[in-house]
Amino acid sequence: MVDVLTVSGLEKRFGGIVVADNIELALVKGRVLGLIGPNGAGKTSFFNLVCGVVKPDAGSIVLAGQEINSLPIRERARMGLARTWQNLRLFQSLSVLDNLMLGPRAYCADNLFNVMLRPGHVTGAERDSRDRAYAILERTGLADIAQSPIRDITFGQQKLVGVARALMNDAQCLLLDEPMAGVEGQAYALIQRVVRDIAASGVAICVVEHNVAFIRDLCDEGVFMFAGKVLARGTVESLIADPQLTELYFGT
Amino acid sequence: MDYVYTILILIGLFVILASSFDLVIGHCGLISIAHPIFYAIGAYVSAMLAKEAAVPIPLAILCGGAAAFVSSVLVALPSLRVSGDYLLIASIGFQLGLIEFAKHIHSIGGAGGLTNIPPFLVNDYGRLSYVALVLAVAVLTVLFVRWLTHGPYGRMMAAMRDDELAFSMLGRNAIWLKVSVFAIGSGIAGVAGGLYAHYFRFLEPDQFGLLQSSAILTMVVVGGMRTTMGPVIGAIVLQILPQAITFFGLPPSILGPLQGLMFSGLVLFFMFARPQGLLAAPDIWAGRKAKAGEPRGLAKGGLADG
Ligand SMILES: Nc1ncnc2c1ncn2[C@@H]1O[C@H](COP(=O)(O)OP(=O)(O)OP(=O)(O)O)[C@@H](O)[C@H]1O
Ligand SMILES: [Mg+2]
Repeated sequence: MVDVLTVSGLEKRFGGIVVADNIELALVKGRVLGLIGPNGAGKTSFFNLVCGVVKPDAGSIVLAGQEINSLPIRERARMGLARTWQNLRLFQSLSVLDNLMLGPRAYCADNLFNVMLRPGHVTGAERDSRDRAYAILERTGLADIAQSPIRDITFGQQKLVGVARALMNDAQCLLLDEPMAGVEGQAYALIQRVVRDIAASGVAICVVEHNVAFIRDLCDEGVFMFAGKVLARGTVESLIADPQLTELYFGT
Repeated sequence: MDYVYTILILIGLFVILASSFDLVIGHCGLISIAHPIFYAIGAYVSAMLAKEAAVPIPLAILCGGAAAFVSSVLVALPSLRVSGDYLLIASIGFQLGLIEFAKHIHSIGGAGGLTNIPPFLVNDYGRLSYVALVLAVAVLTVLFVRWLTHGPYGRMMAAMRDDELAFSMLGRNAIWLKVSVFAIGSGIAGVAGGLYAHYFRFLEPDQFGLLQSSAILTMVVVGGMRTTMGPVIGAIVLQILPQAITFFGLPPSILGPLQGLMFSGLVLFFMFARPQGLLAAPDIWAGRKAKAGEPRGLAKGGLADG
């Protein structure tokens, strides 16, 4: 059991709304953790805190043994932290392939010096990441629409592009925010298989999802979150069988 | 003939300015209109180096570009670190402040202007050689901007314009990208300034103010943002229009304000009637459009077991 991401004592409130209340959570190498809870429980906020999009009021976030609280978003990404977004955030004016091309931890044109003075080097690096992008598109069933603009593809395909783009990072830790929402049933098995394969290759994964069946089929373990608190941890079966949690989930 | 040469040189210089400004405002999406101040820095630094330190003129022009590059970093870095919105205010403050400051520095001519700037090429090879030099630099600038924006660096600019947060989450450095592009565009403007100085041989601070900002902005908007030829066409049209107006023989007191009104009028007209400019920007990065009749569903095979 190797902890890739360890969060302890994490606190965050927006005015009166508590989105993180002393969260203690670890993501383990090679395992998929399901994060469930009702709307507004703080699931997306938890991802935002881990990624540096939102600054915590207190607590520590440790990625691969290094505290990352003070690192900017991009530095966390370059350490191997990748995520998808509940509202996609794809680059609308780019093709599917070009969305992926920007995803590697180190991008071929990050260094302006190389762009100007070593164009051959940049072209070579770009070719390598294009090959990698095509491999990932193949794996996610998107190869045929690699050249399409984002606005020309279906919402379900856009969801998959979001996942595929995150995979370009070759991450140690991957956070997926509602990968199934709005996706037709046919992509179910595909997404399940892709996430399982990624975990099997040694990535620590956390999935937020309202589709509880999806979480149950996919995850080794789940946590239930409510009002910024982790209320319970266990097998997904046990969480959804708990009448108290079910009541919180569906409200009264 | 000299008149035609001068017009050609001005067109070339404004092609350089408009094209480099489109890199900053169009391709990188940085809101700033202070481009002329970097033109001014290049012009004054090059002129002073050649005049007072006898630096060879080609080298002086390059130093002018370098000075514009460095000063633009100093303006952009602190403001972009706070937020993109501050760049507009910080850069206009820098532009207007530096113009006022220059008016009080006697060693660079003050408000009266800097005279007797050493000439380049014209005395030895005639004006046509200078036309060739400026047009060559203009063509190189247009090709450079096209190359930069159509390559992997341009992909970053397009993505950052679309969604800066998602861009950062991929590990890309948005601030560094903005500062770099701002500095490249400003450095090119600085080179144009040097080319201006050693042909016209006279500089005064007031010529680099907001009227010139609006002229360059108008060229980019009228020609078409994020197009290779838009800034070129914009520069030609807007250089020739004011010349045409001078044929009416209006007194200078009316001519100046009239040109300013013309620029604002054109920008407003294009904003409402044809926001894409004369040329519409191509989707550089959107890839091939799906052909009619092509299946739009998920790729076959990918969902075999789905
Ligand atoms: N930046 C912010 N500023 C203010 N309030 C916020 C901010 N981000 C989130 N919130 C609030 O915090 C609460 C938790 O939001 P969050 O998006 O984390 O919920 P969630 O568990 O992801 O819900 P859902 O299942 O609907 O996606 C909500 O009430 C939300 O309105
Ligand atoms: Mg959410």
